[in-house]
Amino acid sequence: MEAGLVDGQILREMFTSGTAWLEKGVPDINAINVFPVPDGDTGTNMLLTMRSALEEARKNSDRDASSVARSLSHGSLMGARGNSGVILSQFWRGLAKGLDGKASFGGKDLAKALTEASKAAYEGMVHPVEGTMLTVLKDAAEAANQTAKTDSDGLISVLKAAVEAARDSVARTPNLLPVLREAGVVDAGGQGVYVLLDGAFHFLEGDADKIQYWRPHVVAADLPLAARTTPTATELELPYGYCTNFVLKGQKLGLRKIKRALKKKGQSLVVTGDDSTVRVHIHSLKPGEILNYATRHGTLHHIEINNMDDQYVEFIKLQKERLPAVDVAIVAVALGDGFLKLFNSLGTAIVPGGQTMNPSVRQLVQAVELAPSDNVILLPNNKNIIPTASQVERLTSKKVKVIPSRTIPQGIAASLAFSYDMDLEQNSRIMEEATKGVRTLALTKAIRNVQLNGLEIKKGYYIAILNDEALVGSGNNASDVILKALEKTNIANVEIITIYYGAETKDAEAQSIAKEIRDRYPVEVEVLYGGQPYYNYVISLE
Amino acid sequence: MVKIVTDSCSDITPQLAQKLGIRVVPLYVHFGNEVYRDNVDLSTEGFYNRLEQSKIFPTTSTISPGFAAELFSELAEETNEILTITLSQLFSATYGAALQGKAMVTRDCRIEVIDCQTAIGGQMLLTMKAAQMADSGADLDQIAGWVRGAMSRVHVRVSFDTLEYLRRGGRIGKAQALLGSMLKVNPVIAIRDGATFPIARPRSRAQAMDFLVEFVKGFKHIESLAIEDATTPDELELLAERLKDIVPPERTYRSRVSPVVGAHLGPHALAVSVLEGE
Repeated sequence: MEAGLVDGQILREMFTSGTAWLEKGVPDINAINVFPVPDGDTGTNMLLTMRSALEEARKNSDRDASSVARSLSHGSLMGARGNSGVILSQFWRGLAKGLDGKASFGGKDLAKALTEASKAAYEGMVHPVEGTMLTVLKDAAEAANQTAKTDSDGLISVLKAAVEAARDSVARTPNLLPVLREAGVVDAGGQGVYVLLDGAFHFLEGDADKIQYWRPHVVAADLPLAARTTPTATELELPYGYCTNFVLKGQKLGLRKIKRALKKKGQSLVVTGDDSTVRVHIHSLKPGEILNYATRHGTLHHIEINNMDDQYVEFIKLQKERLPAVDVAIVAVALGDGFLKLFNSLGTAIVPGGQTMNPSVRQLVQAVELAPSDNVILLPNNKNIIPTASQVERLTSKKVKVIPSRTIPQGIAASLAFSYDMDLEQNSRIMEEATKGVRTLALTKAIRNVQLNGLEIKKGYYIAILNDEALVGSGNNASDVILKALEKTNIANVEIITIYYGAETKDAEAQSIAKEIRDRYPVEVEVLYGGQPYYNYVISLE
Repeated sequence: MVKIVTDSCSDITPQLAQKLGIRVVPLYVHFGNEVYRDNVDLSTEGFYNRLEQSKIFPTTSTISPGFAAELFSELAEETNEILTITLSQLFSATYGAALQGKAMVTRDCRIEVIDCQTAIGGQMLLTMKAAQMADSGADLDQIAGWVRGAMSRVHVRVSFDTLEYLRRGGRIGKAQALLGSMLKVNPVIAIRDGATFPIARPRSRAQAMDFLVEFVKGFKHIESLAIEDATTPDELELLAERLKDIVPPERTYRSRVSPVVGAHLGPHALAVSVLEGE
């Protein structure tokens, strides 16, 4: 071998080193794999393809570079795994072609062979996609050629230029391929190409022994930081009344006692601190009551009260970011952090509101305008909100259909019935149909002594209301009231009962009621947290 | 005669493959370092038993371009026209491997490779019709032309207990809109333009089956129908019973998802595929 030239034996060693280096990079490469299929396999597939290539090359004892390259090509073709493996095998095919007839090669030959390899990789794909390993191979070959022009014998400098160009190219892949940008990662296959070439370069540099103590560098995406934040990671807070924050200072404050007392007064309650300093965060319609309560126990500091209506648009926008783009969007009116999550999990955006807090037409129009489609279905989920919702259509350029849902369970049934396969008209028809198959039993507490429908109701007693109209029971035990009310409904044709328990209600109580219902009736009973105010239970009968 | 080749994700039963002379190439399912050829080394039942006990999540892989080249070269000794129908390239690298393999064949043989933009029963119905055409003497261009034209008339619906397997295997696509429902649902998806697509959220297995039946009823003219289960033969029986008056049994093909498909669908999946009439 002439000085500075690579023969078959060295070529084999270079890529033995490259493959060892790749093996170390496999977990990182698998972890960022999102394109074309996010199956976490790209690193593994490239490694197995390279192993098969090397196995074939080791069987070939020839010192001839072109002969070894042909073995690498054959081995990779036989052992190619996955899309990245197929491209890698094309790379080897091109490289073997470029080195054809050469017993050994230098920088200029390598540059030429890399160009052939990149060409073969592109030709192998029916629809070549930029921002993948194809782009990285192309950029590496181009840089190798540039360097070879000025330093035609410098094999190491040519390969170095290729490796560096590959690394920079990997960093740019998210700018070329939107799916990478969305995930905030670089292309996995591209990263694999960079690591493979880098490992080969380390061998030529004489670092082959050292790399067993190192780890390949994971190329960082060349993206502004903002593009990498994932909106789904943030918890959404339901705007409700006034966001009230303060620090309470005093003696023997008792965190638990404060928590218990405030829980009934609002939503999204957070109480932290110790016996002498307590930080309170709560959303309440009556912040005055909260402050009154607090002043009885100590002194108030850092008081901050914001009307959450002002955050309303921001809230709707945040929901939009986390909901999938669809042909027909759904907007529902509901209260309760559990219902927010539930509706969002079905792809439905929420406008906060309900019995005691009817949203304005303006708020509904805003939500419709911000919905991720020009076709919007509105679920008022309350009979008092239906008239408001009906006005939205003439105030927006979007197409709007109002489903006259009178309760939250009707709204949920409508959302579940939504078909991604149908247009606005068809969907509004099947969704309205779905609301008819649902009855709603709601349990709340009487706020004063009354006589209604011949029932004597004491203040603080539970009352059960069916379909937002008929009083069907009362008593001081939630479970008894619910079971009695169920007897009065036509439960024989009910298949699924879903119990949504409110902000002030305990999960354990809801679970035990569910058990009692299951013991009595042959129905499926599901329990979910609704987080709604005022109503201890909202029960869906389907 | 044109030789018809497809992959094991078409779920064509060995009996039908033999009868129609279709070469079904097995893909691979992996449990860690153990590799099984689809429906050759591992049956669907064996796969699901294994899945239940395994702590390792199974993965899948396809043939290499070299394997495809060898297969085509071998077949080229008996025929001079080969039609290969692969599952969607958005699900698998099979199409790419077959194309590379084709480019390496040196024998004088015309080879067409078609990505049929679907999988499972949909792929089955297209492939079987192609084999029937080959049997009746149609040439490669006629059959390939028919397949390309018929692809838009193939409609697949699959119901699930959970989309978790589809998600973990990276094939969830747009159907992820159905993920994460807090209520118990039995999601139904379609395969459209070669990818998964969300359809509906029935609340129970019974409602899901109703949905599949209504879906089949919605067609004016059905050329052929494929129905498949994963782990619930009784349910398949029931589905067949409910569909027998819509599509006659002689045009209905019953099968079972292969282990490779099962690794992505999970247990309890139920699928119907319709080849709509022209």
